[in-house]
Amino acid sequence: MDTVTGTKISIQGVTKIFSGKRGEVTALKALSMDVQDGEFLVIVGASGCGKTTLLNLVAGFDKPSEGRILLDGEPVTGITPECGMIFQQYALFPWKTVQDNVEFGMKMKRMPVKQRRERAARFIDIVGLKGFESTYPHHLSGGMKQRVSIARSLANDPKVMLLDEPFAALDAMTRQVLQEQLVRIYEKHRKTIIFITHSIDEALLLSSRIVVMTARPGRIAQEIVNDLPHPRNAEVQLSSRYMALKRTIWDSVQAEVMKSMEVEAD
Amino acid sequence: MNVDTPAKALAISIISLVLFITTWELVCRMGFIEPLFMPAPSQILTRAIKMIDNGQLIAHTLASTRRVMVGFIVSSLVAIPFGIFLGSSRFFMAVFDPLISLLRPLPSMSWIPLSLLWLGITETQKYSIVFMGSFAPSLLYIIEATKGIDPLLIRAARNLGASQLDVMREVILPGALPQIIAGLKVMLGIAWTCIISAELVAAREGLGFMIMNGKEYFQTDTVLLGMVMISITVMVIDVVFRKFERRLLPWTR
Repeated sequence: MDTVTGTKISIQGVTKIFSGKRGEVTALKALSMDVQDGEFLVIVGASGCGKTTLLNLVAGFDKPSEGRILLDGEPVTGITPECGMIFQQYALFPWKTVQDNVEFGMKMKRMPVKQRRERAARFIDIVGLKGFESTYPHHLSGGMKQRVSIARSLANDPKVMLLDEPFAALDAMTRQVLQEQLVRIYEKHRKTIIFITHSIDEALLLSSRIVVMTARPGRIAQEIVNDLPHPRNAEVQLSSRYMALKRTIWDSVQAEVMKSMEVEAD
Repeated sequence: MNVDTPAKALAISIISLVLFITTWELVCRMGFIEPLFMPAPSQILTRAIKMIDNGQLIAHTLASTRRVMVGFIVSSLVAIPFGIFLGSSRFFMAVFDPLISLLRPLPSMSWIPLSLLWLGITETQKYSIVFMGSFAPSLLYIIEATKGIDPLLIRAARNLGASQLDVMREVILPGALPQIIAGLKVMLGIAWTCIISAELVAAREGLGFMIMNGKEYFQTDTVLLGMVMISITVMVIDVVFRKFERRLLPWTR
């Protein structure tokens, strides 16, 4: 992408060890990578490879056992609203209407009511939920809930958006619609995005760069710059370049899955 | 019999109530039971009309209701913020846990002697009995409700810039509210037992006093009327509470 101007997030030698009842688990080991400003980075990996752990560290929910994470050159020391998180389970507030959910971050910033009303309305419109402002989340479908969650994050104007398998619980049709919507939002708002998935197709459709992570402890197995042309329509998806990329990623993901299964069998 | 509509269920309930009262009336009329031990429903009704006429029934009912409501509301207003605070702070939970554990098993009756000593036979003493009887259990309900909040929602709120205090007000309170209200509903029933026992021991008005006073004068119909009034009042308050609950929890509809 030509708008990439500099390093947004710098992950430097990060190790994360969890100590539990059954001893210590190394979720990440000496992981280093940079995320450029305006980049759409997709992290692919087998389950349990520490992808979510990595996002939690970037968002400041957890602290690395070793190493550090920089956001715009400053170390991340606590939970920061600069990194807006989108969860697979939506995490909408059930007691708040769509409007109030989207307004939440702005309310926390003590933005005047009128201003946040208008801003929320704009983002509700962007995700195509106009007319659902006064609906409570439990009346919405999964896809609609995730769109509210995306609007809620965007309205809070984060520098970085962290998406943790956001579409994994949705049916194939809805997933495709949301993927296209996310790409449009990305192209318009130019947020830096870190997106986690275990779907190689999703990674190829969305990303500007793909990182494949190893089985636990998580490290980088492979890094691929995704140069597929936009829009990534059916034609692109049937191209030989797409197939070649998919095969490369598949091979390294599969190797990691086999490895993690061997570890579990031990 | 197939009870498939609410109307049918209601009809059956009404018939059952009428049958019960009629049997009771008949048993008394035929002289199987001494009226001193068990007055007939008609006799209780006559007493009720008499006491409504002279204003006593309403006065006693209102006195007890006011005491329950004041004690209960004050106890809830303290217990809700305090419970949310304790539920979200392990440190202060550990600090207050021994005290709460000591207070919790004490029945409200056991506070009556001390409260009489400290406050005399006053309204404040009545409020304090309701307060002491309902505070510790309410607090425990609220702490439990607070712990039941989905941690993901707290994460999401923090990620959107909420401070710890914002989280308590914007996430934990509304998130725990359905369970808090369910707990308070149970507590309201307990508050009534508190006030009746306090009035039975020492009072100049109220339904508990009315029952005790009826017994002193061998007016068994007054005793039973007092008991019926407690049931009716608690039922009415329950209906009001339910309306209030729907208002407070619009998202559960």
